[in-house]
Amino acid sequence: MAHFDHLTEKVLRGFASRTSRRNVFSVLGGFLAGAAALPLLPVARAEGPEANGSDPNSGVLSPRYSGNPQDPGDATKCDYWRYCAIDGSLCSCYGGTVTSCPPGTEMSPITWIGTCSNPADKRNYIISYNDCCGGVPWGRCACQNNQGDRPLVRPSNNNEITWCFGTKSQSYTCTVALILGVAIDQK
Amino acid sequence: MIGALVTAAAVAAAADDQVGAAPAGVANQQLAWQHWTLNCQGCHRPDGSGTDQTAPSLKGTVARFLSVPGGREYLSRVPGVAASALSDADLAEVMNWMLWRFDKEHLPADFQPYTAAEIGQLRTRPLRLEASLVRAALLKKADESTAH
Repeated sequence: MAHFDHLTEKVLRGFASRTSRRNVFSVLGGFLAGAAALPLLPVARAEGPEANGSDPNSGVLSPRYSGNPQDPGDATKCDYWRYCAIDGSLCSCYGGTVTSCPPGTEMSPITWIGTCSNPADKRNYIISYNDCCGGVPWGRCACQNNQGDRPLVRPSNNNEITWCFGTKSQSYTCTVALILGVAIDQK
Repeated sequence: MIGALVTAAAVAAAADDQVGAAPAGVANQQLAWQHWTLNCQGCHRPDGSGTDQTAPSLKGTVARFLSVPGGREYLSRVPGVAASALSDADLAEVMNWMLWRFDKEHLPADFQPYTAAEIGQLRTRPLRLEASLVRAALLKKADESTAH
């Protein structure tokens, strides 16, 4: 036992003679700062409480990636491929998703339907833009892309109309983008 | 992999649309479904049930018009059909597909499919506000003929 005590004392004295107190504090400080920075990394955020929905009250939006290489892009951004013919506000900014309405709203069965090219495979997909109705029209994440849009004289092909028909409320909140199928390429 | 993008409901609906024998006067069922989806479904809804506020129901009803005088012409002159952006040929195919898809039970045994020439001629005389009155009168006649 005395031999073990002697060895420990020798090692510690050797360490102390080679290391300053300032050096110890600098190393410890590095660890502490590193630990504090971990939640800022994208990987940590992906596991965080906002991974499944941005809080519409906070004003802070988390990016939404499907994780599927065939469905690329951030669904909270207007340049997401499915939004090529949308005119309204993005439900993914309101506590909903690209395919689901925010809590407290109702999805309209009457829709505006268009096609968008998927950058992953360069094919056209038929997209149904369903308005979510009955919530607070906050006007956030406005997005106006008019691919395939027709003038108001053709109401069934015009995306500026609020499509809150067949719902309890005609008050527009936001719009989702559902894939209905792959379009046949035509000449 | 691409198929994974398409929602299960959409796949089921599309598959359901194309079950069974090819309808008369439809060369390409998938193209007819696509034209329907892009030009009609938004208001008539995927199952053709429509809404009172937008477009009337087709489901279980639309082929009944073929059994009364003036009904065949009416279907081609309603605002959504006559003013459609589709060509006469594409529109004829959609009409034939739609009758089969949403009301094959009432499709007459001797039904002659719409042709591009017929659609082209009929859509030059579109119905406007009177469309709903014509519809009601034709359905009343259909009800009476069924009752006798």
